[in-house]
Amino acid sequence: MIQQAHIMLNSKPAACRDGETVLQVAQREGVFIPTLCHDPRLKPAGACRTCLVEVEGQRRLLPACATPAAAGMVVKTDNDRVKRHVKGLLALYLADHPKDRASETGAPDQLLDLAERFGAPTDWPAMPNVRAARPGDANPYVHFQPEKCIACARCTRYCAEVESVHAITLANRGSLTTIFTADGRGLMDTTCELCGGCIDTCPTGAMTEKKPFLTKAKPERQLEKVRTTCNYCGVGCQMDLNVDHSANEGRGKVVKVTSPPPGTTTNDGNLCVKGRFAYDFLEHRDRLTMPLVRGDDGKFHETTWEAALQAAARGLLKIKTEHGSDALGFISSSRCTMEENYLVQKLSRSIFKTNNVHQCAAT
Amino acid sequence: MAGLVTTFGAGAMTNSIGEIRDADFLFVTGSNTTEAHPIIAMEMKRAVSRGAKLVVCDPRSIWLTEIAHRHLKLQPGTDVWLLNAMAHVIVVEDLVDKDFIAQHTENYEAMKAAVLKYPPEEAEKITGVPAEDIRATAREYAATKKAGIYYTLGITEHTHGTDNVYCLANLVLMTGHLGQPNAGLNPLRGQNNVQGANDAGATPVFFPGYQRAADEEVVAKYEKIWDTDLSRAPGLNLNEMMKVVGKKIKGLFIMGEDIVLSEPNACKLEQGLNGIEFLVLQDIFLNETARYAKVIFPATAFAEKDGTFTNSERRVQLVRKAVEPPGQARADWQILVDLGNACGAKWNYSKPAEIYDELARHVPRFAGISHARIEKEGGLQWPCPASDHPGTLFLHKGGVLRGKGLFEAVEYRPSSELADNEFPLILSTGRTLYHYNSATQTRRESGPHTKQPEAFVQIHPKDAERRGIADGELAEVYSRRGKVLCRAMVTREVRRGCVWMPFHFAEARANTLTTDAGDAVTGTAEYKVCAVEVRKASVPEPQPAD
Repeated sequence: MIQQAHIMLNSKPAACRDGETVLQVAQREGVFIPTLCHDPRLKPAGACRTCLVEVEGQRRLLPACATPAAAGMVVKTDNDRVKRHVKGLLALYLADHPKDRASETGAPDQLLDLAERFGAPTDWPAMPNVRAARPGDANPYVHFQPEKCIACARCTRYCAEVESVHAITLANRGSLTTIFTADGRGLMDTTCELCGGCIDTCPTGAMTEKKPFLTKAKPERQLEKVRTTCNYCGVGCQMDLNVDHSANEGRGKVVKVTSPPPGTTTNDGNLCVKGRFAYDFLEHRDRLTMPLVRGDDGKFHETTWEAALQAAARGLLKIKTEHGSDALGFISSSRCTMEENYLVQKLSRSIFKTNNVHQCAAT
Repeated sequence: MAGLVTTFGAGAMTNSIGEIRDADFLFVTGSNTTEAHPIIAMEMKRAVSRGAKLVVCDPRSIWLTEIAHRHLKLQPGTDVWLLNAMAHVIVVEDLVDKDFIAQHTENYEAMKAAVLKYPPEEAEKITGVPAEDIRATAREYAATKKAGIYYTLGITEHTHGTDNVYCLANLVLMTGHLGQPNAGLNPLRGQNNVQGANDAGATPVFFPGYQRAADEEVVAKYEKIWDTDLSRAPGLNLNEMMKVVGKKIKGLFIMGEDIVLSEPNACKLEQGLNGIEFLVLQDIFLNETARYAKVIFPATAFAEKDGTFTNSERRVQLVRKAVEPPGQARADWQILVDLGNACGAKWNYSKPAEIYDELARHVPRFAGISHARIEKEGGLQWPCPASDHPGTLFLHKGGVLRGKGLFEAVEYRPSSELADNEFPLILSTGRTLYHYNSATQTRRESGPHTKQPEAFVQIHPKDAERRGIADGELAEVYSRRGKVLCRAMVTREVRRGCVWMPFHFAEARANTLTTDAGDAVTGTAEYKVCAVEVRKASVPEPQPAD
């Protein structure tokens, strides 16, 4: 029998599988290791140094995200040396980062969260953030706030490794390092497909949705997330509608769409341009808001539900009486829910006695 | 759908989306995955970057062909030739999985006799794909264990759509790529709830859960469940209904579809609609079909109601109400209950979960699924016969659901309309990343509109040059049925002799051009092949209003 391989994690044995990193073992065991540049969808970059842990026999601290877990390894994630390192590192990140929550206009800023958790000093001498944004990028969705960027490259790696369009890239060196496009073009003039994955993966909210930013909507923390299924193609991506219930005179408003954490649903935290951004139709002025019945003048007139339902029932039943059941056709919709499709075929078959029921998706 | 039900016993993706990333060979045919199913495409990209081999079979060069190891750029409508030739290679070179064929299939000999008439060299003449490419693809597919086939409407929207599916199913069965992880035959569904709509029985041939309407036992069962008598007369499918609108069909109830924009041969359809006596429409926008409606119900969008959608991989997932509908708009299920009761029913569903329970209770493969369970555990994949069953990741494990996988001997039939002197170009239609179906939603959105503001037709440089059309100029595309005006996009992405148009644009309705000839089994219309001609537009370029 092969003995299951183990590492010692904070003095407790933890099973490790072939090819796993120290971070993966710790996450499975529920041992918290802070990360900023890590995204399970991406290859480990080991760039932000937030996840450094102490490994016995190694002189320096090692990045948990990029260190393979080897049997017998003795790892400490929470001793004073590691804590001191994290505190100092976060304080350095904060030196040129907005420090108050008021700056949190969009997604929760994980750097501020970690600083709070580790009690990182925020009074180290401040430095101006000198990263540059792309001037005049008129794309409709993605807004980049360079002062919040920590150059962890999650967005550029996502763009290359997951979406594979290579629209954005790191540019410049040192403190000038920023997120750029080829020739500094606007996103609409690059290979960008507006999937918004850069926004989703950004840990500090530097990449953010433009629409809620411009309308000064409430930050994400103050919105309720309603998990639902995307209404476009057949992949069935799970997504969270971020709702401000007080907007629209209490009717509620979908402020933005975010994806569930990677690894939890079929879409693995990914969404496309339609799923993430094409929800304005909900609010569109062309939406039908009243039942309509065509009058003798040939025009539609707004009416009550009761009147419209009676008119529809009378009209359909009249056809059934005069021309027979099979003179009626019922067209259901693969855009509507399973329950609604069930009701349409039940209506057709049990009330109107016809099997003339179908929808556009018969393939 | 019908093709897979016939051959395998279940019409759905055999495998799951999450398995794609670990496949070693991907055969993507008739699917522009990065545009129509971007998230599935991400899984394919991940597989390729891991080292998987990707072969794309499509008349156009698409995004995926750039990372593909091979592109079989076939002539539209010649799929049967190409797929049979692949089967030919597998049979002749003895690459078949003999054990699987013996244990799990029937009718192999008939299929074998048929494909032997399709040698790759002959296929090359008809499909335009080099025989060596066909051979190499067939060999790699047969030799790789984790080999999956992925297809979309490029396979099904033909008069021989079901034949195409049979051919693909033959390849899967002869190589035993069924009931295995990371393999199988996988139709990627175009709409959020294609799977669910069919599962729910919104089709003339099936009651819920693919119970055949022609089966007396099934009808009797539902007479008991619904406590009423039911019709035994076979129903018309959508394609058949559309052809007799205004004639045999005098009244229509339409929920959530804009038939004038989405059904083929639209001019003829509109003539029919002129003769219709009564039309009820239930939608969120006043669409093109509304012109013929007598009553319109304001319905709700997905964010305003509860229910379930079933995705391509048979996963039933919850749709949750997040905001209130505008004005007096009502949830679609509520409208249907109200309408049913106005017509004499006594339905007292108080929430969608109760409707789901009624549906699932009488269909064994859904019986273990309920809203409450999905709420707790997340989406569940059918078959899920009991409330303690975990759902099914991939189908046909340890045996084909049908009992034996059925080989079908398929012979090539040309598309219903071929190019001729008068209409020398073959038009295919399809979807783009930035828009969705009739685009009533996406064209009300700034991003897609900026990326893709207007209709266009892709045409090969040689074909454009001959007609004096430059890139970006306005062009007229016309067929025997209609004419549209759109912008010419001169590109080598299409084959010479072929043009391509998206179907999203109400002012340039590709469906006025397409033929309403349908597949013999499903009635699915041939949106992918019809004969057209293109000429430089005679109207002046519209000037922007200021």
